[in-house]
Amino acid sequence: MKKRTSLLAVLGVIGPGIIAASAGNDSGGISTYSVAGARYGYTMLWMMLAMTPSFAIVQEMAGRMGAVTGKGFAALIRERFGLRPTFLAMLLLLTSNAATTVAEFAGIAAAMELFGVSRLISVPIAALAVWMLVTRGSYRNVEKVLLALSSVFVSYVLAAFLARPDWGEVARSFVTPRIVPTQAFIALAIGLTGTTIAPWMQFLVQSNIVDKGTTIKEWALARWDVIVGALSANLVACFIIITTGTVLHPAGITIQDAGEAARALAPLAGPYAELLFSVGLLSASVLSAAVLPLTASYAICEAFGWEAGLDHTWNEAPAFNGLYTFVIFAAAAVILVPRLDLIAIMLLSQVVNGVMLPFLLIFMMVIINDQRVMGRHVNSRLNNVLGWTTIVVVIALTVALLAMTALGIG
Amino acid sequence: MFYLTRMLGKPVVDAAGETIGRISDVAVATGEVFPRVTALAFLGPGKTPFMLSWRKYVESIDDDKVVLNATKDALRFSYLQPDEILLARDLLNKQIVDTQGMKVVRVNDLKLSESRNQLRLLGAEVGIRGILRGLHPALETAAERIAKLFGKELPENIIAWNYMDLLERDLSQVKLSVTHKRLHELHPADIADVLEQLTPAQRAKVFEHLDNSQAAETISELEDAFQAEVIGDLGAQRASDILEIMDPDDAADIIGDLPYDKAEALLRLMGVNEARAIRSLLGYREKTAGGIMTPEVTRVTEDMTVSEVIEHIRKESSENESLYYIYVVDADGRLEGVVSLRDLVLSDPGTKIADIVSRDVITAHVDDDQEDVAETMSKYDLLALPVVDETGKLLGVVTVDDALEVLEEESAEDLELATGASRERGPLATAWWLIVRRNAWVALWALALLAAASLNRNAQACSKLPAACDLVLAAAILSPIILRAADEVSSRTITELIDATPGGEHPSFARRLLRESGIGSAVAVAAAAVAFLWVEVAGTAEAGTAALFALVTAAAVLVTVFVGSALGEAALKASDAGKTPPSSLLTLAAMVVGSAAYLGLAYALGAWIELG
Repeated sequence: MKKRTSLLAVLGVIGPGIIAASAGNDSGGISTYSVAGARYGYTMLWMMLAMTPSFAIVQEMAGRMGAVTGKGFAALIRERFGLRPTFLAMLLLLTSNAATTVAEFAGIAAAMELFGVSRLISVPIAALAVWMLVTRGSYRNVEKVLLALSSVFVSYVLAAFLARPDWGEVARSFVTPRIVPTQAFIALAIGLTGTTIAPWMQFLVQSNIVDKGTTIKEWALARWDVIVGALSANLVACFIIITTGTVLHPAGITIQDAGEAARALAPLAGPYAELLFSVGLLSASVLSAAVLPLTASYAICEAFGWEAGLDHTWNEAPAFNGLYTFVIFAAAAVILVPRLDLIAIMLLSQVVNGVMLPFLLIFMMVIINDQRVMGRHVNSRLNNVLGWTTIVVVIALTVALLAMTALGIG
Repeated sequence: MFYLTRMLGKPVVDAAGETIGRISDVAVATGEVFPRVTALAFLGPGKTPFMLSWRKYVESIDDDKVVLNATKDALRFSYLQPDEILLARDLLNKQIVDTQGMKVVRVNDLKLSESRNQLRLLGAEVGIRGILRGLHPALETAAERIAKLFGKELPENIIAWNYMDLLERDLSQVKLSVTHKRLHELHPADIADVLEQLTPAQRAKVFEHLDNSQAAETISELEDAFQAEVIGDLGAQRASDILEIMDPDDAADIIGDLPYDKAEALLRLMGVNEARAIRSLLGYREKTAGGIMTPEVTRVTEDMTVSEVIEHIRKESSENESLYYIYVVDADGRLEGVVSLRDLVLSDPGTKIADIVSRDVITAHVDDDQEDVAETMSKYDLLALPVVDETGKLLGVVTVDDALEVLEEESAEDLELATGASRERGPLATAWWLIVRRNAWVALWALALLAAASLNRNAQACSKLPAACDLVLAAAILSPIILRAADEVSSRTITELIDATPGGEHPSFARRLLRESGIGSAVAVAAAAVAFLWVEVAGTAEAGTAALFALVTAAAVLVTVFVGSALGEAALKASDAGKTPPSSLLTLAAMVVGSAAYLGLAYALGAWIELG
């Protein structure tokens, strides 16, 4: 009899919640947090605090739906709302996932350029590697390895302490809501929401719960895994903001992405900060570049009843294989277009996520309050209040951004 | 022809011409091949749901509305009967099992047809047409036209009612026609195919409807990866009941894959005999005769008569997997001979076994490799092969189904090795690997050239050691020779890997090295000649240097051959230990080491000449 004591098996006890939440601190996320800190100092920290309960509760709801119904989010949307809304949701998911995958490859390019490797070499190799990772079917194992690698996220915490921030100031910033009424600020706020509560993460956490066969009886334990995952992911995000907010903001250094942040950190916080920042960026990007296209393919195939699964050949599951292959290589190809504004793409993907979020959350709120689907595990009032508040705030932010763009304010 | 998605939301008009609501669903009676629509569900004012008998009240139906034959006040509402299902609620957008195609699909639309004033369900539309129509009918028409342009038809993918099974709704209370094929009525191998497409929760639901013996057969048919998972998800008592029914060799395989605690718990719940049989099998190594045999064997002694043996089989061996051969053992359980079922049946009931026994038995040792076992069985056309230990004691038999599985497994492994692809990757991935392997040398050549070029661009280094830079460049240009040699060496190793059986014989390292050096020397001489000519013609260096460079080239070829053989040896050792490394990696490693050695030697030569 096999006794399972391998490293991978030990890592296997890391639950779906922590995996999904950590995967959320991807290249786009690290960039957005770095930029937020560098541009506005600690100003946006209060938003992270405000967002944390929403994030935890949204993840909890997705996980609970999976545990009660044993079905993925896409299947539930299809069965509850029918074909047309599902089509819209899947189109949005595909768009946002493809855009985010582009951002992941941009992250890979940026990280490798820090090591002196041209993107013309790193991106095609990374695309091929990610694709083979996925098609070999061992991606679940690799995912764990990459997750272990991305535990260098701890380095962001260390980096924050090394930067010697004024902790009193940091603490005050957490509880002092401040808003800068400019388009850039609002866009960044939407991006921050979109990357923290990324729509695809709800699909991912739910399908992880379903695949694991977690039942509602086991949910009492599993829910803590989901909640703790959400909290720790956001904590890391806060430390990234604190680091760049302490080091780069006072020096007046403006950055556009995580790569620049890493470079800018080196003279001020030492070469190791740059190295840790880049390694974290690289592994997070590779992980998400593998996970994102898969999440989209699984969700879409589930919604339309097409065969899905890594063990299926092209003939058995053409849509599934075609979708993720297309997303991976199309995203990598975009990065190779010369003189492309990667930063704009990255920000755009975050904003697409932010705009899409309320739609999916509304679907989620309707499903999770439907007794025929959830039985007695429908939402509590607190869940509903927080859920709807999140939806209203995100919609308000989006409307504000559109209005400001239209009126030319900011 | 009517489609449910088009019907939903259409007005319901009473005899007075007043619209009293909008269609929300229709119910069908489930007992027929083409179920009759029995009731109409609609939402009245204020979204109040109502249900009417179709037969009593529906006067006519067309694309725009349903007309009733009574006025609003004369309607008597009805309720859903236990044998009725609602099309929109229970089928539309839901997953169903296509029990003919053995697939899990999602219902995009439902097709109904009217004949003699009766609306009947033709089937569920599960294809792309249903999706397009559901999005907008114009899309379907457009797609149809485009398909026609290419001379194709847009196929309608309809699953008839008698070939579908619902995953969500329990149909066990519903009376179904005799022709209706439900999931649990399929062959266990087909049930297994469908189960592999479901989520754990759905699988658990299906297992609720299977009885234990069906469940046991189905689990045996599942892919290895699912077996332990499915057993792990079942309740402990049921899991152990099911494992008890399974052939002990299959059960042992599954239990071996479970975590220790769970496996122990299940074994403890089992009957003493079954648990003992499984435990004894768990002791044998995987991929050996012991690992794939079943201990359930019919053992008889020589002094029995034919009729006694037949009686014995009836009593003791009804559960045995294989009955084709009856084995004759002595008092200590040592195998003495074999009697085929055929001989037994054709013999006179009074005949002594000793008179018909065949003592020339082909056996396998318990530690024999499973591939050898399978090959023996195929060579002698055996349906079962007895497995014995050192003392000749009969331990069990390997049956033909297990042997077939082994052959399939091994041929897949060999293919994997030969193409450098693993099974999971699918056909395209295999092609990819082939491309990568076939073209790896180009990439490596480019890398070598890049390395040499970047060295040459480094003015500081090259002003000190110009000869070294020139020779490295020459070596880089000539490196395909080395890459080719590396490819040769490793493909010979790969062929050996495919032929080799783990633990089996293969040429010793020294022998292989000798053979490879022989071939390598010939290549080295040719390579040296090419190198000499190249350096001379290109005018890189004078004749003396060119001769030294030729020597270096020959040395590099030999190093490559040596490294390739050593790597091959390591791969064979690893393969003995059950871990066969991917062959592409072998080739790649030999190539990288060989070309690095070549460039390095060229540089060293240049530096030596320059510095004296």
